[in-house]
Amino acid sequence: MELKIDKLSKTYSNGIKALQNISLEIPNGMFGLLGPNGAGKSTLMRTIATLQEADSGSVFLGDIDVLKQKNELRQVLGYLPQQFGLYPKISAEVLLNHFAVLKGIATKSERKELVKALLHKTNLYDVRKQNLKGFSGGMKQRFGIAQALLNNPKLLIVDEPTAGLDPVERNRFYNVLSELGEHTVVILSTHIVDYVKELCTNMAIINQGQVCLKGQPLEILEGLKDKVYKKTVEKAELSAYKENYQVISERLFLGKPTIHIVSDKNPGDGFSLINAELEDVYFSQIFNTTNPKSN
Amino acid sequence: MWYSIFKFEIQYRIKRPDTYVFFLFLFLFSIVGVDFIFQGSEMGLMKKKSPIVIAKTMGAITGFFMILASMIMGVSVLRDFEYHIESLMFTTPISKKDYLLGRFLGSFTVLLFAFTGILFGMILGEFMPWHHPEDLLAFNAMVYVKTFIMITLPTLFFGASLFFVTGALSRNLVVVYTQGIIVFVIFMLTKAITNEFWQAILDPFSLTTTTFATKSWSAIEKSTQELPFIGALLYNKLFWFTLGIIAMMYGYKKFNFNVIKEKRAKRKKQQVLASTASRTVHEVEIPTTQKHFGFLSKLIQLREFSWFYFISICKQASFWGIVICGMIIILINSVNLGTVYGVDSYPATYFIVEELKETSIYFFIIILVFYSGELVWKERSAKLDLIYDATPMSGFMKVTGKYIGLNVVYVVLMLALIGSGILFQTVSGYYNYEFQVYLSGFFLEILPFLALYTCIAFFIQSIVNHKFLGIMLMIVFFIANTALGLFGYNHDLYFFGGSALGAYSDMNGYGHYLKPYLIIKSYWFLFGMLLLIMGSLVNVRGTETNLWKRIKTSKYRVSKPLLKLTAMVCLLFITIGSFIFYNTNVLNTYWTNSEATDFRVAYEKELKPFEYISQPKIVDVNLLVELYPKTRDYTVAGYYILKNTTTEDIKSIHIQKLIEENVTLDTVSFESGFTTDTKYEKFDYSIFNLNTPLKPGDAIKMHFKQSFTTKGFESGNSNVNINYNGTFFKNTDLPTIGYNSNYELNDLNGREAYGLPIRLNKAAQDNIKELKNARSGSDSDGINFEMIIGTSADQTALIPGNLLKEWTENNRNYFHYKMEIPMINFYAIVSAEYEIKKDSWMPSGDAFATPVDLEIYYHKAHNYNIDRMITSMKASLTYFSTHFSPYQYEQLRIMEFPRYAQFAQSFPATIPFSEAIGFVLDIDDEQDVDMAFYVTAHEIAHQWFGMQVEAANVQGKNFILETLSQYAAMMVLKQEYSEEKLLQFLELQKETYKEGQDREALKEPSLALVENQDYVYYAKGAISMYQFQKAIGEEQVNKALQRFLEDWNTTNGNLKMATDRYATTQDLLGYFREVTPAYQQHIITDLFEAVGELKIDAANE
Repeated sequence: MELKIDKLSKTYSNGIKALQNISLEIPNGMFGLLGPNGAGKSTLMRTIATLQEADSGSVFLGDIDVLKQKNELRQVLGYLPQQFGLYPKISAEVLLNHFAVLKGIATKSERKELVKALLHKTNLYDVRKQNLKGFSGGMKQRFGIAQALLNNPKLLIVDEPTAGLDPVERNRFYNVLSELGEHTVVILSTHIVDYVKELCTNMAIINQGQVCLKGQPLEILEGLKDKVYKKTVEKAELSAYKENYQVISERLFLGKPTIHIVSDKNPGDGFSLINAELEDVYFSQIFNTTNPKSN
Repeated sequence: MWYSIFKFEIQYRIKRPDTYVFFLFLFLFSIVGVDFIFQGSEMGLMKKKSPIVIAKTMGAITGFFMILASMIMGVSVLRDFEYHIESLMFTTPISKKDYLLGRFLGSFTVLLFAFTGILFGMILGEFMPWHHPEDLLAFNAMVYVKTFIMITLPTLFFGASLFFVTGALSRNLVVVYTQGIIVFVIFMLTKAITNEFWQAILDPFSLTTTTFATKSWSAIEKSTQELPFIGALLYNKLFWFTLGIIAMMYGYKKFNFNVIKEKRAKRKKQQVLASTASRTVHEVEIPTTQKHFGFLSKLIQLREFSWFYFISICKQASFWGIVICGMIIILINSVNLGTVYGVDSYPATYFIVEELKETSIYFFIIILVFYSGELVWKERSAKLDLIYDATPMSGFMKVTGKYIGLNVVYVVLMLALIGSGILFQTVSGYYNYEFQVYLSGFFLEILPFLALYTCIAFFIQSIVNHKFLGIMLMIVFFIANTALGLFGYNHDLYFFGGSALGAYSDMNGYGHYLKPYLIIKSYWFLFGMLLLIMGSLVNVRGTETNLWKRIKTSKYRVSKPLLKLTAMVCLLFITIGSFIFYNTNVLNTYWTNSEATDFRVAYEKELKPFEYISQPKIVDVNLLVELYPKTRDYTVAGYYILKNTTTEDIKSIHIQKLIEENVTLDTVSFESGFTTDTKYEKFDYSIFNLNTPLKPGDAIKMHFKQSFTTKGFESGNSNVNINYNGTFFKNTDLPTIGYNSNYELNDLNGREAYGLPIRLNKAAQDNIKELKNARSGSDSDGINFEMIIGTSADQTALIPGNLLKEWTENNRNYFHYKMEIPMINFYAIVSAEYEIKKDSWMPSGDAFATPVDLEIYYHKAHNYNIDRMITSMKASLTYFSTHFSPYQYEQLRIMEFPRYAQFAQSFPATIPFSEAIGFVLDIDDEQDVDMAFYVTAHEIAHQWFGMQVEAANVQGKNFILETLSQYAAMMVLKQEYSEEKLLQFLELQKETYKEGQDREALKEPSLALVENQDYVYYAKGAISMYQFQKAIGEEQVNKALQRFLEDWNTTNGNLKMATDRYATTQDLLGYFREVTPAYQQHIITDLFEAVGELKIDAANE
């Protein structure tokens, strides 16, 4: 099955163009959606998850017209929103069972088995009787993925699921995700670029409501091969470098700014060629869409 | 520092729409506040803006809407936790004192602002056009301001402190809401305190306090005097003010400036959670499951949802708080059940159920209004909404699940209340639990009401998408719908929810009310379902909150099954609606209040000229009555003999049929030939022109046939006289002669508006026309009476007269009664399933006398006081026949009738007696006055004062009929019990008299000129007669009464025979004067001719 997004646009009533003509084709497997805060990732995901109306365009999952046949889509949808809470006074087991009912798993015994398996899978089985009030951020997030998997979804949307998780929890979470079969379209939005490379077979970068890049991470990296240079500079010189070069990122290294630039030829000037990371791709794309003229 | 917090609070609230919504709400409500609070209560001489009325209204509104105070005050600290900024807040260098003080003062200021809505609203309310200028005093804004400061402010301060502190300490919104209930419970609890002073002090809304503080005031003082801010009122306010301070101090001490509320135990648990989570689990096979989206799975979903939401409410401590409060309040309140004349009834189940319903409705409404908001918002409050919304669950199923869940919550509270009711009965030693009465009382009456309003609540919450606003709108809807009913727009088709179920009677159950009630409830329930469907379609799903867009996209939400359901519900709704319309408006006629008023006005304007035209009198009644209790029908056929007692020829006879749709006058005919004039047919008033005029002294037979046919059902409460079990109607339902002034419009303001002259309740004593009438529009001076009456096989039919014959025919019971001596034209027809108690009484001092049959016809279960009644019958007959005159009939019957009316009434030799009074009284001879005995004695006294002697239909009539009966009954009570019991009885009469004076809207009359003021002719009458006999001696009084009876007996009185008028109080007082020594003559003037003031304290005699 394939998710096909065609010319999807959405403008909020306050004039913000959250989505502008977005077209994407997302095959089975993990799909990474990268973009800075406010790029329109969540809007896009909510629209696909039937929670928001689009102004124009279409979204199809196989034969399902997502924007119109909402309920059909919901039957095969797993969704983990960026932020969510839990009822404090009930246990993980009860709430998961409740969600199973919501998702149409009507047979009690089946539901019981399923809930049990998912609690094991997400490593929550030991705490299944505890009130959700005491759950840590990671546990909560794992519970979130458990509920998203209840209906064996064809389309799984996870919106920045690892924000605020410690590295151990984050790994555990991605392990769960990566175990999903090849028969599911998984859309994962995140800021953390490296995980996309590790997990995703396909990806897209969006900024200001537009797709600036889409493809397979490795192919994309090819595009920047031998084009990214690095230099450690003084703070005072920073603005000068920014004028002269296409600075895609700057970060501090031992207190001094280290800048990455994109250049087709070796700029010299103390720059050294580095192996492009996905992060560089990301930053260069963001740079391009944010400062289109300087390109 | 506190000031900046204060300022911040104010600035924050200024921007919040809630603040203004609260103000506006109180403002609008207060405009009609006085009218609403005092709706239906007699205000008497108290003006609508007398300080005491203003104080009570302000107190009541403040109390009513204490819940708003909890919303404003409770959230002030809670908000920091709700928005998770407590960590930021509490780490700033502000002190606890500054923080709390600033927050409190800030919100209190806002609270005051909102509640000034009451002040301004009430002031504006005074200028509303519907007030009668006479009801108002000159406008004085200061009165309002003063009262606001005196009454509302301290209450608000107490509430504010309490709510603020609990909000800060509990950090739980629902706990905050339930505050209002707890204060209300306190208020209810104070009502159970018997000590008036303490009650006045402890009443949080100072309603009883103002009553207590002005107890000794006269009506005039009450309407003009300012409230004294001393004594009880001051203490009351100080008490609650102090409590507020204490609450604040406690809160200050307990409030913890830490972010984490949990104690160590919780943190430990969290560590456990974290440690177990670090184990890794390998390959877990996730089983494949069937997903079902068919009908059956929807039902399973629904069941699971309902249970889930039900449990979620059950987990809230506040809910159990409400349940426990409800149970406690019942146990305290039901101490006084079915109290009649100061005597409590047995805790029969229907009394308990009625008490439970009355006191618990507030709790139910709180649950309804708040928990419906909670449930609709449940996912969003927990921020789980996006997960929910992305599941393939139908919105309608979710709403319905929540809906059912909430209804199950009602059921739980009901079961708890039933439990406490049974507990109360058991403790009182009453074991006849009657579960079906409990169940029907709650599940038939209250649950449908709640279920329907819950539909509205869910609908509103779904539409407005703002929880507080939804709650307010819901309250507005409650009030608006009630108001609609009060204004007379109460047709069951558009008055939401339809009318309430009629009273439950042991004798008649729910009678014929039940069927239409259920049909109308189904109609509204279908409407409710449509609301739920619509609500579920426009409910927020996803991130779009704009209502218009939600409506536009709702079409994508309609699934085929839902569409089918909707179509089906619509169809059923229309079908049942049409069926109801057919019943109420085609088979029967629906009258709005104004239509009814117009009719009365037209009746009077067109027919009044006929009021005193010469008409013959009924002298003979001979009828065959067939009652059909199962179908609620009857037919009456037979004849009257009409006699011309005037001095001129009578050319036409005016016949008034009872103005009731079910009743038809099928035929009327006169022996000598006649023509019918149908000009006034719309008033059911026919003029029959006789072919040969009726000469003075001549008589004519009038044959007629009347039917009562029940057709379908009517809107609202229908006829309560013709019942499945317990039919009771009077001869006034049969054709009467001439104009009937009872159909005139009585309402004073209404009459003025329609340009009708002032209507006297009783004519003056010099009104020659009314002196000749014993009743309004009297069409007879006495009759010979004979009737055959048939009823169903299980019932006994009773009317006045000797039972000549009794037989069964066509599986029906027939009774042939005939009164051997003339009687007044006043008889009741009674039929029900009865147990019979028989006894007899032998007149003393007359060797040839035949025994009088005593019979009590009563409902099977009501045998508690039958012996007391028999005792009373014997004692009364003995006393009255010894001291006044012989008893005139050969039998005396008491018949119980359903409690739709609560009185006993005397007819010749028969006394219909309501099941609500006397039969179920739990009389403790140590403590209580035996009111079953007393009421029986009073009614038997009417066999003399009413049956033997009649009074002219002028002022003072009720002195002769009622006051003398009170006197007679008191003397029997004194003789059979004791002087002490009598004094106890008189204490109660004094209270009744005082209350009556307070309610009196016009001028209080003297006993001699009393009109329809029952507090005068019953209560003051009893006291005055007691004092009179104390002063001149019981024997002297009896001698006067004996002479009075001798001279004014309707059939053979010495004076009566010589005149065509009836006796008045002037005549009666003459006999009193005769037996009073000269030096005591002034007593008669003081007691009977003076107004008000009881000169002698009865108890001190």
